[in-house]
Amino acid sequence: MKIGVFICHCGHNIKHTVDVETLAEYFRKYPHVAVSDDYPFLCSEPGQNMITDSIEQHGLDRVIVASCAPSLHGELFKDLLRKKGVNPFLLRRVSIREHCSWVGDDVEENTEKAKRLILSGLYGSAHYVPLEEKQVEVNKSALILGGGVSGLSAALFLSNMGMQVYLVEQAAELGGRVRELKSVWPSRKAGADIIAGMENELRGRDNAAVFTSSKLSNFEGFFGNYQATVATPDGEERFAVGGVVVAIGFEPFDPQIKPELFYGRDPRIVTTLDLERSGDGLKLPDNPRVAVLHCVGSRDEQIGRPYCSRICCINALRAAEAVKERFDGSYVESFYMDMRAHPRGGEEFFEDTQEKGVLFTRGNIAEIVPEPQGIVVRGEDTLFGEVFEREFDLVVLSIGMSAPATGKEVANLLKISLDKDNFFLEAHIKLRPFDTAVKGIFIAGSCSGPKDVEESINHGRASALKLYGFLNLGYAFVDPFISVVDPKRCSGCRVCEQACVARAIKFDEEKHIAHVEEAACMGCGLCNATCPSSAISLRGYVDTVIADEISGLLEAM
Amino acid sequence: MPEQTATRVLTCIQCGKCTGGCPESGKTPFNVRMLMRKTQFKSDIEESLPWYCTSCGACTIRCPRDVKPSEVVIELRAKLVEDGDIPLALQKALENTFVQKNPWGRSRNKRADWLEKLDFEVPHVSGTESKRLLFVCCIQAYDPRCMVIPVNVARLLKAGGMEFGVLGEEEACCGNEIRRIGESGLFEELQEENLGSFTEYGVQEIIALSPHCMNALKKEYGDTGIKVVHYTEVLAKMIAEGSLSFPGSFEKKVIYHDPCFLGKQNGIFDEPRAILKAVPGLELLEFSRSRETSLCCEGGGGRMFFEVESVYQRNAEVRVIDAGKRGAEIIAAACPFCVMTLEDPATEKGLVVKELSEILMEVL
Repeated sequence: MKIGVFICHCGHNIKHTVDVETLAEYFRKYPHVAVSDDYPFLCSEPGQNMITDSIEQHGLDRVIVASCAPSLHGELFKDLLRKKGVNPFLLRRVSIREHCSWVGDDVEENTEKAKRLILSGLYGSAHYVPLEEKQVEVNKSALILGGGVSGLSAALFLSNMGMQVYLVEQAAELGGRVRELKSVWPSRKAGADIIAGMENELRGRDNAAVFTSSKLSNFEGFFGNYQATVATPDGEERFAVGGVVVAIGFEPFDPQIKPELFYGRDPRIVTTLDLERSGDGLKLPDNPRVAVLHCVGSRDEQIGRPYCSRICCINALRAAEAVKERFDGSYVESFYMDMRAHPRGGEEFFEDTQEKGVLFTRGNIAEIVPEPQGIVVRGEDTLFGEVFEREFDLVVLSIGMSAPATGKEVANLLKISLDKDNFFLEAHIKLRPFDTAVKGIFIAGSCSGPKDVEESINHGRASALKLYGFLNLGYAFVDPFISVVDPKRCSGCRVCEQACVARAIKFDEEKHIAHVEEAACMGCGLCNATCPSSAISLRGYVDTVIADEISGLLEAM
Repeated sequence: MPEQTATRVLTCIQCGKCTGGCPESGKTPFNVRMLMRKTQFKSDIEESLPWYCTSCGACTIRCPRDVKPSEVVIELRAKLVEDGDIPLALQKALENTFVQKNPWGRSRNKRADWLEKLDFEVPHVSGTESKRLLFVCCIQAYDPRCMVIPVNVARLLKAGGMEFGVLGEEEACCGNEIRRIGESGLFEELQEENLGSFTEYGVQEIIALSPHCMNALKKEYGDTGIKVVHYTEVLAKMIAEGSLSFPGSFEKKVIYHDPCFLGKQNGIFDEPRAILKAVPGLELLEFSRSRETSLCCEGGGGRMFFEVESVYQRNAEVRVIDAGKRGAEIIAAACPFCVMTLEDPATEKGLVVKELSEILMEVL
């Protein structure tokens, strides 16, 4: 066995609190360690060359890279081994940045901890065996959940690329919330027109099947080979898909949750969405006094919506502008906490609205009290530091976005996660914003957090593109980390069968032992941990590896 | 200031929701948002300011950043209490509570005197089967105007066939106002004393007469395992189940005023209304500011025990004028503090203030 230990400085990130030279020196004395070195950036080209050169020069058959967390640069270092003909599963990554140098400032303690972490990796790697990545066929087809702008964008993109798509929408029509918008900022096109364009294009394709008034009722399988069951008005439909784009949108905030706003109890208090739907039908005096309230259902800890909904400042400006344009002599006052007209052109739109005579008052309205002659709005002008009570003929609540109502149901079916606000959780907020933790399942649009129309369309396309990249080849490699049953040890107690979340373990009635469906196994290790006879082990993470890693951690203590 | 409170103050976004909904802001120099800002920067705060707060809780219930401004005000008061820089009347109330277990300094031996007005015996809670305690409250045990309330409620409960007992002289002030004045040490002493009695006599359930007592017993005494309810909840249930009904008739227009500690702070809006609706002949009116937006009467947070400068119009007066405009003959409240504050301006303007139980006794 010839082991190479490589310690990264990560510029100053690791080096400033870990004595990297001492570490490199320390591991040189270990048996089987052929080389132990440190380098400023192992992920840089010279850093990579140092590793490949060492593999060649020393004939390494184990490589330990002590650097950032393994989730970063995972494939990069594996490829170095592949390039030199070494099985990539003989690589061990040790995180001495996220788990060590970033945690404390004490150089001595950190170095000691890094020593243990690397030693643990060293011991574990001794048990490594070459593993083969399995190639599986994948279906070049996709399930799109949700037929709003985001889902439509994803479906159009995939169908354009020649992939079979199944679009499932729970409402009777496609288009989601955008269909209701009279004028979508900034293009000022009607939402219905935008949707019609997309829908006509999709409906004309022979590789796109659209199911409205339908919902996903069952979902099983694994990446590339999922089986989706959809309940449609004409009965159940089943189809095989390679992956999924979830674009089920959002729920408009219901202001009745906030009783002090009096919504739902007086027709003169409406939401921005009500105004879109029936603004023209409102009976207003010739010179109406209109209040527009920002942040209704956003940035509010009291109702579990601490986040900014990102769309409502623009919507509030649109509402104010619409009133000003329709009624020349109107008095329009917009009440805001902070103005966040963040999209391109948003600040200019704010300025235009101000020029048109809309007044902006910095204050979060405290109470709305309807009186016969007008609606009394009470709040503090925080810039004057004065409390006011003003009367209006109409109050428009600029409502935010709440998580989709069916989010939990869909999350359970697809085994994906929700974030603290019940929107879908991405795999990584920056590096994998479209992915979920389940391979081949992507999220798009406002179901993963508030987004405007433009962002939702882009998000839909991006998720579709990512999915296309996964499925395009028609095959995929899957991790070799799957469970293996030792038939001699298995007592047939079936505890593992219940523990398995992927439903990959089936009971072999004939031999009376557990059997793992390799294609379905996710490699989570739950069966391994549950087995009372230690009869199941997870390839790549066998018990001896874990036991020796623990002993490596404890040894220096 | 406790670390958690201080950290939350730092998250204040100065949106003004607190000040906009505050019953004191606008007409007095009190501006909650400004106090939060000054606290963030550890700036000096003029020492008369914290005493305007009525502890109505609107700011804390609505604050989008959950800063709990009214709790911060209590901390500001605590500092003043510690330094001894507090209005004399409040100092007196604290001393009285320390000695006699009630803010008015009336003799503790007289706490059970209201019982003499009853024509039946109310047992000590230890002698009851249900271990159900009627918690009377200081103002209702001593104040001649309010003493009638426990008497009424006792009769109503008896009429509904409910067993209950009292603690008599052993009952101590609940401490709700004391904690809000900023004397958490004294509050803890009162809490300990009352909890000691509850444990000793195996109290299972408490019917509180005052929303203020209910609030403290329910939310600020920790996890006692004792069920705490307001008497209106009990009566509403009796009426719904048919065990209490009113044969008489009360042909009056009655407007109901939501007490802050019953309504916005504890969500009891429907029960008092259900009770009034069960009174034959009674026409129930509503303020425009009702339920969650009910205007505070300014009796809470220690304001019952001292007068702030009276150059400002009292909310009670605003309330009475509003009630008059709506054609009400009677303002009903379910809190002794509200009754006391509303009564003066009401009498001036020819309106009558009645505690809920007073209306019920007329029709029972």
